[in-house]
Parts: sequence; structure tokens; C-alpha cells
Amino acid sequence: MNFAESFRQNFIEEDRWRYLTDGLKTTLIITFFAVIIGMVLGFLVAIIRSTYLRTKRLLIPDILCRIYLTVIRGTPVVVQLLIIYFVIFASVPISKTFVAIIAFGINSGAYVAEIVRGGIMAVDVGQLEAGRSLGLNYRQTMVSIIMPQALKTVLPALANEAIVLLKETSVAGYIAIADITKGGDIIRSQTFSAFMPLIAVALIYLIMVVLLTRLVNLLERRLASNDKR
Amino acid sequence: MISVKNLTKDFGDRKVLKGITEEIQKGEKVVIIGPSGSGKSTFLRCLNLMETPTSGEIYFDGKEITKLHDKEINLIRRRMGMVFQHFNLFPHLTIKKNITLAPVKLGIMTQEEADKKAAELLKRVGLPDKADDYPASLSGGQKQRIAIARTLAMNPEVILFDEPTSALDPEMVGEVLNLMKQLADEGMTMVVVTHEMGFAKEVASRVMFMADGVVMEQNSPDKFFSNPESPRLKEFLSRVL
Repeated sequence: MNFAESFRQNFIEEDRWRYLTDGLKTTLIITFFAVIIGMVLGFLVAIIRSTYLRTKRLLIPDILCRIYLTVIRGTPVVVQLLIIYFVIFASVPISKTFVAIIAFGINSGAYVAEIVRGGIMAVDVGQLEAGRSLGLNYRQTMVSIIMPQALKTVLPALANEAIVLLKETSVAGYIAIADITKGGDIIRSQTFSAFMPLIAVALIYLIMVVLLTRLVNLLERRLASNDKR
Repeated sequence: MISVKNLTKDFGDRKVLKGITEEIQKGEKVVIIGPSGSGKSTFLRCLNLMETPTSGEIYFDGKEITKLHDKEINLIRRRMGMVFQHFNLFPHLTIKKNITLAPVKLGIMTQEEADKKAAELLKRVGLPDKADDYPASLSGGQKQRIAIARTLAMNPEVILFDEPTSALDPEMVGEVLNLMKQLADEGMTMVVVTHEMGFAKEVASRVMFMADGVVMEQNSPDKFFSNPESPRLKEFLSRVL
């Protein structure tokens, strides 16, 4: 079978290309919403943790956050996905995509939290003191002085975390979600040829990652040039 | 105006302040000198509760402030400015924003009033054309003058200076000290931790020598420098003068 025939069989016949496009759509939906959940969760955890580290307040929330970080970062994302689907939502009739969004969001939140906490702690402690010495309270100092500076340093790392998450969603097939990886696999099982569908899947990920990475680099250069003012 | 009773501060098992009792009157310019590690910066930072004292009392205008809630402490801090060794300007904000941030955020002034005040203050510290620049474009001396302007924007009743010239190149020390002299002449109450003996001689109404966590000796600048009593101070002065 030559290349053209193989291509026809894997993608054109029976509209098999739709497994890839539908799968891509699912992958992007899961990634998009999981990134949002991860960011919200991550910022919350980072603020609690850095507040505890700097002021010794919020001890109980800080302990909960540390447990969350240890568990999430200490177990594989596939296992978390399976537990959330088969254990936590076992008796609830619920969309698998929704479960995947929750699982990947909670997972990503742990990594975002550590990135953002690093950014907050990297802001010189004198900035906090200057704000407080002027009579601003902790929250006002955080919002107006610390976070804008922290955000700027962690933005590229956060964007990279989103890119990593895009690739990590490829295990969504474990709970029978037809994402793009699963789509390629379905084609393989129908045509009994592995090369074409799997390489196609890999190429699609690669193109997305390369484009997004370019965007992040652009962003990084923008931020760097702002510093020279 | 500020009265301190038996103030102590420990960092872990290290006793940094070992019982300080002091009065600072309105309009006084108290200069604190002493070897590094003597506790002078810690003492200063206790006055506006940047450090929480381990024991003892601090009265500001007759009110005990060490047991206050955060909210009340914030109100006290509005009235006590602080100038830091490393300036601590906000690098992501313009000079004007650095000066107006606190009064506007705290609802003391509208942005318009604060802008006007900032323009006045910039003129006063000799940097009227820097309003829209960012801190990174300033020299060390200019940064410290802006930091003083930022403190003045809150109309403080007293300003605490924590080694304000120690991080500066020698040629920039003068411009900052001149501004501080100007403030002193205008009657500002000042507590200054410094190594600038010339400033102490010229501006201080009282010089305080701290060593090993206590105030060892204090006097008017004339007597302090010409007639030191304790051997520690004699030794210290012989090394720095």
C-alpha cells in the first residue's frame, strides 16, 4: 500500500478525519477550562501559602494547601483522573468531559500554586514593608504592590504550564473520552495501521505546542523590554 | 510623642533589645549610632511595629500601641513615616504613582489632590521633572529623595530613617542629607539610625549610642562627641571619626 492509499484509508474513507477534528475540539475544551480552574485554584493556594509564610497567619488553610500540593504532585495525573471519575463521581451521572476538566484543573492548580508562590516570595520583602509602613493593610499591599510584580515574573512560567497541560490531557482516553489521542487510536483500531493516525496526532500536538511556545517567547520579550524603561 | 518602656525583642534565642526605656519629644531629632548588630535598626523598626516587640510598651501620643489590632496599627503607621536603607520604591509604578498610591488607596486624597501634592513634593525634593519616570531610571540618591517624598505625602508627624544613606555611593550621600536637614529645620520630628557622624553633629538634638541591645549613652551632640563617657563609646568614636 503506498502513501496516498494509506492516507486515503486512514483519513478520507468513512470520514475518519472527523475522529481527529472532533477529538481536537474535545482536547481544546478540556484544556481551556482546566487552565482556568487551575489558575484560580493555584492563585488562591499561592496567596494562602505566601501569606502564611510571611505573616504566620492562616495556619489551618495553609496546612490544607500543603496536603493538597503533596497529594496532587505526588501521584500520577492518570490515577487522579481515574479516582475522580470512578470513585468520587461514581454514582453521579455526569459528563466525562466535565470530570476531565475538574481533574486536570485540580492537577494543574497544584503546579500553578507553586509557580505563583515562587513569584510572590521573589518580590523583595522590602516592598511589603514599604507598603505597610505607609499604612496600607496587607490586602491592599498585596493587590497594589506585590501581585503586579509577582505576576510579571511568573507569566511565562504560567503560560508554559498551560502548554504542559495541553499535552497531559492526552490521557483523558483512560475514562473513554474521545480526545484527539483517543481519536487517533480509534482510527488505528479500525484500519490496523498505526503509523498514519498516530503520527498525525503527534504532529497536531507538536504544531499547537510550537505555536503556543512562540507566543510565550514573544510575551517574554515584551515583558523584558518593559524592564529597560 | 513616643515613649518606650522596657522594650525587648528576641529573634529566636538571640536577645537583640534588652530593655530600652526612652522618650522622644515632638520636634526632636534623635540620631542613633552604634556598631552593627547593636539593635539600633530593630529598635527603630519596633517604633512603627514593623517588628513586634517581645515585651515592653510603646506609647504614641499617650496611647499604648503594641497590643493594638492590625487596623489600628495601620492608622498609627499613617502618622509615622519610614525611610528605608534600600529605598523600597515600587518598581512597577511611575514616580508620581509611587507618591500618590498610599494617600489615594487609603481615601485620604482624591487622585487629583494627590497629583498636586506629588508635584509640590517633587519640587521640594528637587526632582520636579521625574514624575512620569520609573524608579529604575533614577540614581540612588534620587531614589532616596523620592522615597522621602513618598513618606511626606502622608503628612506624617514623625519620620523614622533606617540608615538612609548606607546604600548610596559616596557622592550621593550629600543630596539626601541636605534634604533631611531641610526637613529638620522645618520642625519635623525625626529618629535617624545612621553612620553619618557629621549629620549627627550638625542636625541632632540628641545623639544616642546603642550597643549590645541597650542605650549605653546619650547626650547633646556637643557633649556626646567631645566628652564621651563609656569606654565602649570612646572606642567606637575612635574608630569611626
